[in-house]
Amino acid sequence: MQFLDFFLDPLYRAPVVGSMLMCLSSSLVGTLMVVKRRSLLGEALSHAAYPGVVLSVILGAALFSPSHPLAILVVLGGAFLFSYLGLLFIEKLKKSFRVHLDAALCLVLSLFLGVGVVFASRIQFTHPLWHQQSQVFIYGQAATMNDSHILIYGLFSILVSLFILFKFRQIEVALFDPSYAGCRGLKMDRITQGISLLLILSIVVGIRSVGVILMSGMLLAPAAAARAYTDRLSRLLMLSALFGMLSGFGGNFLALKLSASGINYPTGPMILLVAVSISLFSLLFAPKKGAVFRFIRSARFKRRCQLENILKTFWKGGVEKPLSHKGILKWNPMGRLSMTRALFTLKREGWITSSGKGKLLLTPDGIRRAEHLVRLHRLWELYLVSCLKVDQERVHHSAEEMEHILTPDLEERLTSLLNHPKEDPHQKPIPQGERS
Amino acid sequence: MNPYAGQSFFGFFATLFKRAFSFLTGESLSLATDEVQLLVLIMISLSSALVGTFLVLKKRTMLANSLSHTVLLGIVGAFLITRGKGLYSASLSTLLIGALITALCTTFSTEFLHKKLRLQEDTSIGLIFTAFFALGVVLVTTLSRNSHLGIEAIMGNVDALHPSDLKQVFYLFLFNALLIFAFYRRLQLLAFDSQFARNMGISLVFFNYLLLFQTALTAIGSFRAIGAFLFLTFLVAPTLTARFFTHRLKKLIFLSGGIGILGALISVALSRHFLSVYQIPLATSGIAATVLGIFFVFGMTKKRFA
Repeated sequence: MQFLDFFLDPLYRAPVVGSMLMCLSSSLVGTLMVVKRRSLLGEALSHAAYPGVVLSVILGAALFSPSHPLAILVVLGGAFLFSYLGLLFIEKLKKSFRVHLDAALCLVLSLFLGVGVVFASRIQFTHPLWHQQSQVFIYGQAATMNDSHILIYGLFSILVSLFILFKFRQIEVALFDPSYAGCRGLKMDRITQGISLLLILSIVVGIRSVGVILMSGMLLAPAAAARAYTDRLSRLLMLSALFGMLSGFGGNFLALKLSASGINYPTGPMILLVAVSISLFSLLFAPKKGAVFRFIRSARFKRRCQLENILKTFWKGGVEKPLSHKGILKWNPMGRLSMTRALFTLKREGWITSSGKGKLLLTPDGIRRAEHLVRLHRLWELYLVSCLKVDQERVHHSAEEMEHILTPDLEERLTSLLNHPKEDPHQKPIPQGERS
Repeated sequence: MNPYAGQSFFGFFATLFKRAFSFLTGESLSLATDEVQLLVLIMISLSSALVGTFLVLKKRTMLANSLSHTVLLGIVGAFLITRGKGLYSASLSTLLIGALITALCTTFSTEFLHKKLRLQEDTSIGLIFTAFFALGVVLVTTLSRNSHLGIEAIMGNVDALHPSDLKQVFYLFLFNALLIFAFYRRLQLLAFDSQFARNMGISLVFFNYLLLFQTALTAIGSFRAIGAFLFLTFLVAPTLTARFFTHRLKKLIFLSGGIGILGALISVALSRHFLSVYQIPLATSGIAATVLGIFFVFGMTKKRFA
């Protein structure tokens, strides 16, 4: 099967394109919710839509034929209504009864689901076809969608995206700086309400392909992935839209491939698993903010500190005096392996050489380097004592860290601020000379 | 022959009293299906009341929600480890291993996302439980080669209950009750003033995890009867209702237990009523959730006019 077939073949077109559009709106709105720190609201509201879905499937099937476009609209309306009721209930509980948000969410999601289960069991044996149609919304099933689904769901999804696009400035201000927005005369209540309505709309649109249970994950996963790359809201939205549509496609692709084995897999879990894999991958391997890169950066820094501390040990023992491994280990507690590695690096850089009998000695380059470190250390001590009035007994530890961090630029400023000093607070000479 | 067949709502209670009396005098010692359902639901609601009170006070109910999603993965894991007969078999090993897998997977991976990958906390919770649930659904679908498993995970199946389930939930209740009785003081501290505990040098980390483990255990224990999600209603609704009436911890626990029992009684009777009077089989678990919800709404009006 060609790649393009997924978008053109009448059999695959509807599920694939439909799911991608649904995921587009949910990932956009989900990003807003993540930034707003209301990640779990979507969980409660998507479960709350379930009784609405069951009722409106019954209503739609009774009034029109099941695949009639109006029946789809009725389902959307019913889900929207109950989800909105759920939102009102949560607000009411929070404001009038001072129930904690956490408990209110949990109560609403399980209560509404329970009511939905009663409705569903009512038609389970009398109208098995309707029951089956309503169950589709639990785990999502894209495969049974047709072109009219694309049209309707796609339309709503594009509406949501357009709204975010046109109201971007207001939303941005309202999310990040509510008090400023208030001063600018923006009606905060209306924007917050608008975002909540967007949330419900995107849930209602998404549950056909992802399902009520997993909908909240679909709201969060693309946003979580995008967060690994950027902090700017506009880029966050674009990236998460991209990831959302990617997972919509990938989920359908997976479901299709796996269903070849004879079992019909629901699409919801597939889409979600793809989305979560994308976000895990991003959180781990994203450049700059990814966990792996952060780990590498900090490990590198630690190693540099280690090397520099060894150089200082040599210098303190006397420039002419060779040191054995044991002598180095005495001041730099570390494992044998990392010790060997550190010494190898130092030799390669040309900072130390062996002076026979297994002992090691600083090279002229190494001496300059070590002197520079000591210079930074003592400069910082002097700065703390003379400018910040820190007690001179307490400055050593801070300087131990700062000597690895100070840049040449800062060094220059410190030197001129302290009038090219010759002695540190402990009356020890500050080595002169710039970094080679 | 089920003595409750054809009984209406009030007839159900009349029969129940009659049979309870004959049970006490030792005339009939067997349990009818409805009684098994009723007792299982009562045990579940007592367990949930014990655990739920502390969860609500500690504001950790969304974590319980997260556990209730991961339960599916725990059950699959327990099935794979113990090589049990059916996926949803009612054995103690399933209960323990499943709960352990559930609790460990959920807490550690959420912590990992939050601490190591620096995702904000609520997003990590939401991401982890949906991902594990999706994984659970895929695994169950693969293992059972059936794509229509879904609904049982959500609403449970009260009609498939067996006296062996009763034994399981009874042990569950006993376990929860003993733990809470033994560590009542510590848990009270955990619920109300963990800051004070920290200042006094009392470590509550263990009790935090214990509470989570108990929640996972209760979720798995009630999975067969009421499903993963409606269990949350039993966990939260009675306690929140009871909070309208009292603020003392002991009273809160007993009251929410009582509300749970009342809910179980009414829901089993209602389900029987609908079946015999209108010939409509409704899901008892759904009715139970609805009844508990109605109790809560009553509580709300009481608060309003008090």
